[in-house]
Amino acid sequence: MARYQAGDFVAARALIKRISPALHRFLHAQCKSVSDADDLLQEAWLRIHRVRQTYRPGKALLPWVYAIARRVRIDHYRKSLRSTMREQRWDELSATAADSLTQPQPADTLEELLAPLSESQREVLEMLKVAGMSLEEVAQATSSSVGSVKQKVHRAYRKLRQSMSLVELRKGQTGVVP
Amino acid sequence: MRDAEIDEALDRAVREPRPASPELLKRIGESIEPSLEPVRPLPPAWILTAILVLISLAVALAFAARAGLHGFEALDVPARVAIFAALAVLSCLAAELLVAEWTPGSRRRSTPAGLLAMASVVLGGVFALLFRDHRVEHFVSSGIACLLTGLACAAAAALLGLWVMRRGWAVNRVTAGLVAGTLSGLAGVTLLELHCTNFEALHVVVWHTLVVPVSAGAGAIFGWSVQRGRALS
Repeated sequence: MARYQAGDFVAARALIKRISPALHRFLHAQCKSVSDADDLLQEAWLRIHRVRQTYRPGKALLPWVYAIARRVRIDHYRKSLRSTMREQRWDELSATAADSLTQPQPADTLEELLAPLSESQREVLEMLKVAGMSLEEVAQATSSSVGSVKQKVHRAYRKLRQSMSLVELRKGQTGVVP
Repeated sequence: MRDAEIDEALDRAVREPRPASPELLKRIGESIEPSLEPVRPLPPAWILTAILVLISLAVALAFAARAGLHGFEALDVPARVAIFAALAVLSCLAAELLVAEWTPGSRRRSTPAGLLAMASVVLGGVFALLFRDHRVEHFVSSGIACLLTGLACAAAAALLGLWVMRRGWAVNRVTAGLVAGTLSGLAGVTLLELHCTNFEALHVVVWHTLVVPVSAGAGAIFGWSVQRGRALS
């Protein structure tokens, strides 16, 4: 990162290559499609590039990167929420309501697995599991305390336990063997 | 279902490869290459904190020197120590949090709302303990005058503070504005304690303390309007 700040393009490219896969996955959780996630990743890197002077060499890099990516994600979410509210019709609303009444299915991908969680719980688990950050680093990236992060993780696990147990129960009732 | 099984399910899902396409990474690299000039990292947090505290103090002293240090001269020594020690500690905490708000991924010791609540309660408490004159004369007119004087000083301190932090980047402009307003509001209170000779308890507790939340609120609204403007553009 220090070399990137010094204007080294090779270092910048290496950093992009190294961080982007996990960052792409983090941003994808908010998007409807992979191409949206691609756009967000590009937007995140442009913002990282614009404010690269705010990173202090010697400090942990991931909390700094994810704090910026999180802002990009929030801005995107608000923008899409505004446009969705303008465009959404009643028939779409009823379709969404019908979808939410369907029975839980076994989840294989991370997005499916984390679907029952709230946005903040999902975000914390993604940082911990996908980016491999520590509780302290997640607290720094989300501008909160370690205690608050621990609480979100605890609640997320409780919710996951409930949803996964429900799926197991259904499997047992229907006799479906995975 | 045990936590270990959930961990295992999460780890299994994370292992599923989802690489960003090489074309995309190449495009990102190409988009930043033209503007890849060397940049100077921000100075250490403690230096920025010290500069912000000194600026707040300098602005308050400059305003007080112009208006007169009558309040400071009329206070007894224990009251001077208690009031200015409280203001110094609160200003340091606010400046430290402001630097953290303007630097992505920083460690924070308190929350912006917690800091504002603490500043208001501590100042109100110190003033209530020290000032025993319970008469009330010209409560509103003299109070409004003090509030406006304090806010004018706060605005000047906020402008200089923003200039100091111009190379930083606020992840959340609303909370950054709130903290900037709290710090500059403390500069406004410092000015009032140096200048104001109205030692009526209710006047000091209400109007002097009020400078901090009003200034913080104005900062938050300013931050919100900037954030909204950026989001819409």
